[in-house]
Amino acid sequence: MLRTTLAGLRAYRLRLLLTSLAITLGVGFIAGTFVLTDTVRAGFSQRVTAEADKVGVAVLPKGERSSLPVRLLERVRAVPGVLDAQGLVRGKAPLLGKDGRAVGDLATTAISIVPGPLDRATIVSGTGPGSDDRTAVLDKNTARTHGFRVGDTITVLDSGRREHRFRLVGLLDPGVDQELAYTGALGFTTATAQRMTGEKGFHEIDVAGADPARLKQAVAAVAGPGVEVLTGEELAADLASRAGVQMEALTVALLMFGLVAMLVAALVIYNTFNILVAQRTRELALLRCIGATRGQVFGSILIESVVVGLVSAVLGLLAGYGLGAVTLRVLTALEAPLPTDAPVTLSAPAIVAGLTIGLLVTVGAALLPARTATHVAPIAALRTQAEQRTFRAGLLRVLSAALFLLAGLGTAAVGALVMPPGQQVSLVVVMGGGVLTFLGVLIIGPVLVKPLSALVGWIPRKLFGVPGRLAVDNAGRNPRRAATTTVALTIGVTLMTLISVVTASTRVTVADKLDEQFPIDYLLVTQERDASIPRSVGESLRGRPELTSVVQIRDTRAGVGGHRVEVGTFSGPISPDVTAGAMGDLGPGQVAIAAPTAQRLGVRAGDTVAVRTKAAGTVSLEVVALFGGESPLPALTVAEPEFDRYFGAVPDSRVLINAADGVPADRARGVVDAAVAGHPTIKVSSSTEVRGQFDETLDMMLLIITGLLGLAILISLLGIANTLSLSVHERTRESALLRALGLTGAQLRRMLSVEALVLGLIGALVGVALGGVFGWAAIRAMLDGAVFSAPLGQIALFVALSGLAGVLAAVLPARRAARASIVESLTTG
Amino acid sequence: MTLTETRRQAPPAVVARALTKIYGQGDARVHALRGVDVAFATGAFTAIMGPSGSGKSTLMHCLAGLDTATSGTVHVGDVELTGLSDKRLTLLRRERIGFVFQAFNLLPTLTAEQNIRLPLEIAARQADQVLFDRVIETVGLADRLGHRPAELSGGQQQRVAVARALISKPQVIFADEPTGNLDSRSGAEVLSFLRASVRELGQTIVMVTHDPVAAAYADRVVFLRDGELVSDLAAPTPQSVLDTLMRLEG
Ligand SMILES: Nc1ncnc2c1ncn2[C@@H]1O[C@H](COP(=O)(O)OP(=O)(O)O)[C@@H](O)[C@H]1O
Ligand SMILES: [Mg+2]
Repeated sequence: MLRTTLAGLRAYRLRLLLTSLAITLGVGFIAGTFVLTDTVRAGFSQRVTAEADKVGVAVLPKGERSSLPVRLLERVRAVPGVLDAQGLVRGKAPLLGKDGRAVGDLATTAISIVPGPLDRATIVSGTGPGSDDRTAVLDKNTARTHGFRVGDTITVLDSGRREHRFRLVGLLDPGVDQELAYTGALGFTTATAQRMTGEKGFHEIDVAGADPARLKQAVAAVAGPGVEVLTGEELAADLASRAGVQMEALTVALLMFGLVAMLVAALVIYNTFNILVAQRTRELALLRCIGATRGQVFGSILIESVVVGLVSAVLGLLAGYGLGAVTLRVLTALEAPLPTDAPVTLSAPAIVAGLTIGLLVTVGAALLPARTATHVAPIAALRTQAEQRTFRAGLLRVLSAALFLLAGLGTAAVGALVMPPGQQVSLVVVMGGGVLTFLGVLIIGPVLVKPLSALVGWIPRKLFGVPGRLAVDNAGRNPRRAATTTVALTIGVTLMTLISVVTASTRVTVADKLDEQFPIDYLLVTQERDASIPRSVGESLRGRPELTSVVQIRDTRAGVGGHRVEVGTFSGPISPDVTAGAMGDLGPGQVAIAAPTAQRLGVRAGDTVAVRTKAAGTVSLEVVALFGGESPLPALTVAEPEFDRYFGAVPDSRVLINAADGVPADRARGVVDAAVAGHPTIKVSSSTEVRGQFDETLDMMLLIITGLLGLAILISLLGIANTLSLSVHERTRESALLRALGLTGAQLRRMLSVEALVLGLIGALVGVALGGVFGWAAIRAMLDGAVFSAPLGQIALFVALSGLAGVLAAVLPARRAARASIVESLTTG
Repeated sequence: MTLTETRRQAPPAVVARALTKIYGQGDARVHALRGVDVAFATGAFTAIMGPSGSGKSTLMHCLAGLDTATSGTVHVGDVELTGLSDKRLTLLRRERIGFVFQAFNLLPTLTAEQNIRLPLEIAARQADQVLFDRVIETVGLADRLGHRPAELSGGQQQRVAVARALISKPQVIFADEPTGNLDSRSGAEVLSFLRASVRELGQTIVMVTHDPVAAAYADRVVFLRDGELVSDLAAPTPQSVLDTLMRLEG
């Protein structure tokens, strides 16, 4: 029996190739994910190990404490066995760009670069600052983006906002330090770093010496409580695991896409094995005639699937290795802030996962077809022609599909309409409804194929004459097969549509809220939370004819009960959306609270809250209003004179500015820029910029997700190609007859293309419908007050591309069909 | 002059000259046709006979433009087939040639009527309704037009195939063992119908068969053996056909 199976595999190898390609792609993606993340992780640990190798023992602040006292360094240096000890300084020191304004959204981080063997900095060009207090190094990315070169003079602000100039002597690679990579990094001598950042203590003390274990004990003894002492090795492990957590999240996210791909691959395989069994009915019947048991027939199909699964999983692992390696190359070329230089490895867990998933999915998908094979009666061997497979919509099918659809849509409706929006449960409920609905569609699919193909085939029927008409008939000819083929595509299109609906709706919703809550043109903030905007800036803008409104907002933190909350005030016209009470004019002893904060504090309108103030002791305030959480007002807002009385002179934390109608944007912007000219750390952001950045982020996300879903689409196209080539094979004589009757090769090709087009469009339309409905439900569940928006252009593009892709999938099968010799096709088969 | 005589004087519908066909290469070379010269008269019903493997189907395929000969020429009407592109051959089949095969003549997804009209639709031509009605009547399929092939008997299917071949008024109809899969009664029906279409519609038919009874329906029988034309019999009867075959085999 085994020999028969293997012979069968050989005979049908071309057909099985497409099938295994589906699995190979899925497994390849999963394995590639592992290769990528494993290698990056290995790179991280290589780097941190290399760095930490220089360190015998590291002393770090623990718990509440954020820095180590300078005195500690002296004590550590005095410990016997300590060859060298250096305190590392880290703090903020805004670098000014060539335009004289602080670069980046956050202030640049300054670090000390220590002399001697404990120097852990990687200087990639030039030199370190050595002991020259007038020199600095800058990280290579910031240098590149802002056009600084070694030899240039750079300007950096100290903690008192005074400008200092340094000669740039080298460029630094921030390595695996995510904070430095994000904010940009400046390196100074220790003394300069202390002077510039104003940091009183050390961020870390590194100690050199032999025998780290003994050293650790000795250092810990002098260090006392509140600090953590780690050996170099422990430090490396610590750093590596912190990087590892990020990689874990990336792995999980990528694997989700891998699983979607495998689900689609499973459908493709299920379909292929079904068709293979159907085509081999006579062969199987013959086997039964000559004495093979049902069990043997079942076994032979399963063994076939095992071989296919194994072969394609192994190929998938190889493909994954290649994919991972290529991705790493690309990341290196793009200078992604990730270590991509570790040797590319395919780890044992990756191999096990790839093989298991590939094998399970293939064999699992072949189970049902194998069972069908056992139902082939021996008598079938004697029938000359395989009879037409008719399909009737059974009552059971319709009923169970209806049940699933109702349950699915009902569940989704509950998640979207009844449950509180913005909570994870609601979204999970909606997604659960989505899965149920999808199962319903899967069951009812074969019933829908005919009417849907008539619907989408309407135009091709009119356009392409006989080939068009025949193609549309053929598309609906084997409804079960067509349904499975198209559902595979439906999955991808559903997810793509869903994502694009969610993205578009998020965009519109957020834009709406921004318009409503932040009807402002410009916003002034500073790089740091605690640093602030001198009141004179806002005051100088007030009264400018180019501007209609200037709202200055001040806040500080204060204790309320056991919480520390933002208490503040505002001056200028602003009207938040009040959800309870009335805000009118806040009087003495009154406060308005942001609704989410009120909920956290457990107070309602009418209650009183006790606020511990800096200058006026604890004051008892009456809650007169609650306002929406999106408002730019401080969480606890009091009247301006009261705020002054409670907290003294506090500078502005943000200034909201509106330009007057009819004033050109660049004029208004000029006025604002002039006002902040003397304050390099104040950031001016315009609402169009904010929205632009937000849009960019969304677009980027959409692009990445769509790209990753593209794999599922690709696999489903393999399914279409596969089904089509099998159908072409089945219909060899039919095609030959048509050719004999005068259908040209081109017309035959067109016929098959239209059939694929119809299949593609059916899959896409169902996907768009599902994606649209569940996109709506998902956005309702995710965002409070969501505004639904369907990006019709994008969706039309998905549909068009699906149709086009279907046509592409038909190219090879169609070409084979058109090239087949008429005479041979008529006589054989 | 009678109608039949006029037709006899018209140029032949199909002419083959020195037609050879070689399959395979080296040791596997098969000479399926070895220099066949034959002409098929317009408005006549000609049968091609010969033992199995003698090259009947090959000859028909080459005459009908389904296959290309190794050497020699074929004319259908005034068109020479040699050297025509696949596209031109297809158009020629579409315009001038009808087919009836031994089996699998009909598209399973189409009804009998749709199958009959198929060649016209492929050629985007209007059906001649008078001809259509007459053909349907002659074939006796009026009440079966809405049925799909699976719902028709073998004989009915072949009659649909013949009707389909007739509907486009081709210059010639080629039939390859059209009764090969039928019982003798259904076979007789189909054959009478073929003969009737020659007599009444002036259709030219070339039929391949190995059945002497079937061949006797024709106006003329040509005999093939080992790829060569070996005998030519006019006004055949089952007995004269059988005699000729016996002579050739013996
Ligand atoms: N495609 C082919 N390849 C090789 N040999 C062929 C092919 N088709 C037919 N033949 C050979 O050509 C000869 C004539 O075949 P055919 O025309 O089918 O004969 P008939 O129809 O009279 O039985 C036979 O010997 C047959 O084996
Ligand atoms: Mg033959």
